[in-house]
Amino acid sequence: MPTLLVHDAGPQTSVQDLGRRGSLRVGIPPSGPVDREAFVLANRLVGNADDAAGLEATLGGPRLEFADERWVAVTGAAMPVTLNGATMPRWAAFEVGAGDVLRLGPAASGVRAYIAVSGGLDTPPALGSRATYLRGQMGGWQGRALRKGDELSLGPKVGGAPAEVRGSLIPDYTREPMVRVVPGPQDDRFTKRGLATLFEAPYEMTTHSDRMGARLRGARIEHTRGHDIISDGVALGGIQVVGDGQPIVLLVDRQSTGGYTKIGTVCSFDIGRVGQVKPGQRLSFKRVTVGEAHELLRAYRRELDDAIAFPSP
Amino acid sequence: MGIYAEPRFLPCGDLALSVEFADEISHEANARTLALEYLIQQKALSGVTETVPTFRSLLVYYDPLVVGWDDLVASLRALCRQARPDVLPPARTVELPCCYGGELGFDLEAVAKQVGLPPAEVARLHASADYYVYFVGFTPGLPYMTGMPERLNIPRLVQPRVKTPPGSVSIGGVQCCIYSVESPGGFWVLGRTPIRLYDPSSPDPILLRAGDHVRFRMIDRAEYDSIAAAAVEGRYRPRIERP
Repeated sequence: MPTLLVHDAGPQTSVQDLGRRGSLRVGIPPSGPVDREAFVLANRLVGNADDAAGLEATLGGPRLEFADERWVAVTGAAMPVTLNGATMPRWAAFEVGAGDVLRLGPAASGVRAYIAVSGGLDTPPALGSRATYLRGQMGGWQGRALRKGDELSLGPKVGGAPAEVRGSLIPDYTREPMVRVVPGPQDDRFTKRGLATLFEAPYEMTTHSDRMGARLRGARIEHTRGHDIISDGVALGGIQVVGDGQPIVLLVDRQSTGGYTKIGTVCSFDIGRVGQVKPGQRLSFKRVTVGEAHELLRAYRRELDDAIAFPSP
Repeated sequence: MGIYAEPRFLPCGDLALSVEFADEISHEANARTLALEYLIQQKALSGVTETVPTFRSLLVYYDPLVVGWDDLVASLRALCRQARPDVLPPARTVELPCCYGGELGFDLEAVAKQVGLPPAEVARLHASADYYVYFVGFTPGLPYMTGMPERLNIPRLVQPRVKTPPGSVSIGGVQCCIYSVESPGGFWVLGRTPIRLYDPSSPDPILLRAGDHVRFRMIDRAEYDSIAAAAVEGRYRPRIERP
């Protein structure tokens, strides 16, 4: 049976696909890649469907051995990639053979890297998805991050071809990103000055950030009357502001509901960029309307569909 | 405080909106929320990808490339007019065995002292009530319930506990809570149910649903241990009444 053998798992590497849908109503988050764009591009590079299962590596990468010939692509955080010690390109598909060892080093910039293998990982699905929900010990490989010695099954091979992401579309994670935010659902629970504060000065990523939420630090955001609400649903990208006036951007492993005011919501197409900001690095917010966000989403999807170049042989 | 004359539609980014019926926690506001969710499911409303009911609002996830804001709000507004409690199917009643006091219900004595009743009477009172699940969430399978006997209303712990074991049946304020996973918390633990509210290895991992009624059945430690052992092997199914 074709497998992927884990020689070294890295700080936190987990199996992810595009996540489970329909389970938030019972408190189970979708999970899936924090940086959906980088994940999808890795799959497309190796000829997989967008929702094929791959790996998300955090801050540093794993060391993996292949048992048969596959196409592989690594996207996302700038982790140096080697195959049997030789440097390999990122954001591009390359072939590996039986016994080859792929290694990702520590991230020079960005936080999360994605590894796609043609055919995808074939771990047992839970509630229709192979995504790992780490806190809930669900999905992925035994509901947990990978460990040395794990052996993951691969799906049937799909045809691969040389392919690369167009240079202009490869993000520079050393730059401070500006992410788009739609105010609400509780923007009326903040003073005019509080709302303006969010969009003025940049916020710094703290180390208390994970797949559940990105905790930021910066200028204090002023409430009108306390930070408690009657608990309601928490959307992807919801910016929760608690008593200390500091924002938390809620991500793919978020709690389904919460009792804190949410000043705004980061747009889906900018969530991945939030997930690539290293602790100590900063990001800023830009205000958009729902209508503008939908236009931006359309443009973003078109860009994504045209992101990969197939060099002629 | 009260139910709004017209529901509010609040943007939650580019992929979701919240339909808010009230600024209060009430059966009426919750029933409208659950009824709207039910109608969306029944009509398979185009573009809606997922819904999350809470006390008094429904979070609706949608695909804006399938349905725009204006059309979605118009459809939801029409459904809201029909979203009355009587459209909902009859509720289930789930019976949860619970072992009160001792090492599993380590706060029972302290609660008894605070409310001025013998511990056995606190347990009896708690187990005699009919609880209603407003919604399930925050952590997987955790029910937000109402129905606590007024006599048991006590403030939450001053110093929240770092870890509370899953299955802990606990109270605080007007709420009764059952921890679904090990988590920190500010509730007083009266007992523990051997039933798992969240079982990640099961094909149907969540026991309780929004709109369910919950009743507790007092059991002793021996029965707790035998049900817990059977539950781990998947041999125990809690009693669920469907009218």
